[in-house]
Amino acid sequence: MIDVRDLRKHYRVHRRAPGLWPAIRSVFSRTYETVPAVDGITFEIAEGERVGFLGPNGAGKTTTLKVLSGLLHPTSGDVRVHGHVPKDRDDAFLREIMLVTGQKQQLLWDLPPADTFDLNRAIYDVPRAEFRKTVDELVDLLDLGSLIDKPTRQLSLGERMKCELAAALVHRPRVLFLDEPTIGLDVNMQTVVRSFIRTYNERHRATLVLTSHYMEDVAALCPRVIVIDKGVLAYDGSLEQLSRRVRPEKHVVLRFSREVDAADLEGLGNVVTREPASVVLAVAPADVTAVVSRALARLPVEDLTVQNPPLEEVMSELFTRSRVEREAAS
Amino acid sequence: MTRKLGRYLTLLVHQVRASVLLSAQYRADFLIDGAIEVLWATNAVVPLLIVYGQRSSIAGWTFGEALLVTAFFTLLQGVLEGAINPSLTAVVEHVRKGTLDFVLLKPADAQFLISTARFQPWRAINVVTAGILFVIAFRNIGELPSLRGVLLALGLVVGSVTTLYSLWILTVSAAFYVVKVDNLTYLFGSIFDAARWPASVFKGALRILLTIVIPLAAMTTYPAEALLGRVSPTSAAVAVITPVVIATAARLIWVRSLSRYTSASG
Repeated sequence: MIDVRDLRKHYRVHRRAPGLWPAIRSVFSRTYETVPAVDGITFEIAEGERVGFLGPNGAGKTTTLKVLSGLLHPTSGDVRVHGHVPKDRDDAFLREIMLVTGQKQQLLWDLPPADTFDLNRAIYDVPRAEFRKTVDELVDLLDLGSLIDKPTRQLSLGERMKCELAAALVHRPRVLFLDEPTIGLDVNMQTVVRSFIRTYNERHRATLVLTSHYMEDVAALCPRVIVIDKGVLAYDGSLEQLSRRVRPEKHVVLRFSREVDAADLEGLGNVVTREPASVVLAVAPADVTAVVSRALARLPVEDLTVQNPPLEEVMSELFTRSRVEREAAS
Repeated sequence: MTRKLGRYLTLLVHQVRASVLLSAQYRADFLIDGAIEVLWATNAVVPLLIVYGQRSSIAGWTFGEALLVTAFFTLLQGVLEGAINPSLTAVVEHVRKGTLDFVLLKPADAQFLISTARFQPWRAINVVTAGILFVIAFRNIGELPSLRGVLLALGLVVGSVTTLYSLWILTVSAAFYVVKVDNLTYLFGSIFDAARWPASVFKGALRILLTIVIPLAAMTTYPAEALLGRVSPTSAAVAVITPVVIATAARLIWVRSLSRYTSASG
């Protein structure tokens, strides 16, 4: 279980005006400013839960993840992961967690991933029989085959990420911290990685904390999301509820067998996008049935789907609202 | 305690194994590195041959005696370039890129892991060269060292390696504060070069710098004096206390520096 109470992480940064003279002056006299990267966040994550951290760049997601994994010392607040205080980085804690980041790698670049696995086996003190069983399972789940015997530098980005995941799991951690694990991967590889993470979580009841810019990652993996914006918690709950709260309307997508005039769509709802033979309408949930019946009755509908607004739009709306609220408050 | 020591020894074996695998990965580099190392090692004696071509004794040291200092210098250079430099230079890169994250998240001492991350096996040639220099030096001197002298010299060399390693840890700890310490490491390399000469060659402020501020004299001159049976009790005491003090300071500063690590984002 992860328990975070009033977590704050503030950085002291040096500020100066642009230009040569301010640069010279700053050598002798510096002005510092305290930047609150995380500013009073409280949440709990139960064992085996899958939670996604969402937020724009610089919102404080990665900082929170790094505090949870023990890499950063919090400025204040109480953080516990499975009863351990992460910043102490005691061995028992480090054996229970793993961190994979899409932009950094731990695999030894010139050696095959199998050598990194073996080094990690020694570092984590994993008994050989258990290690072999784990590696066999990971090779099978990630479809690694002979990849683990090729030098890392010869692997594609996607293959490397699969091997990174395997290297980080040889000690069977109970808490998985994943920071942008699918960044730069093609759609097919993103699906493979997501499916693996989900299977691993279900099979081993491992707790999963994920940050990602790809909404599909979060939608596919995390029943619960924690939205962080400007260092504060903007939302904590299910994606479904978040959509309902921020953008309650449904999107009715209609495809027609021939072109349809704008006039034919009047009274059906707000037009989000329109092409000659298709339209996306924003409709209040209570009106969906009526709108669908009317559309079927009066238009040459070939295909019809009702869906939530895209997650990107929901998030964008949420961030705009919280920015407006902040500006109003200040 | 014994179990912990055993575990770290196993880890050391694994780290060395990975370095050997890495060196063997590129056969051409492996052979070229070896050939360059042989050249460098023989080059270590050239300055001595030039100086002693003009005179028979410098600051009270004959050629054979000064060759002992060079031998210790070559030995330490082998340790520095083969076992200390490669790993610790990589740390600077780790700090800059933020990949030190992976080291800090391992359930083993971070200082141990970074210090043993990379070895360059070819640099061991320096150790062989040092052995040859010892033989030539003692043939030149005309008498063998006493057992007591050898044991004392060995003890002092262990201290020298500790000092050298700790000075590197201190330099690397600076990476947490200033990020770009490449220049510091080059500066250290240049100053270390002075250790190929007996300490008494240097006079005035330079002598204070090279014996007290940076204890180079304790690293090569005192072990040579021990072999020659003329190390003073004060020098021996300094040579024992210096590594203990520097190693303790290095550990404390390293631990303090780690808490400043902010990890590069993204």
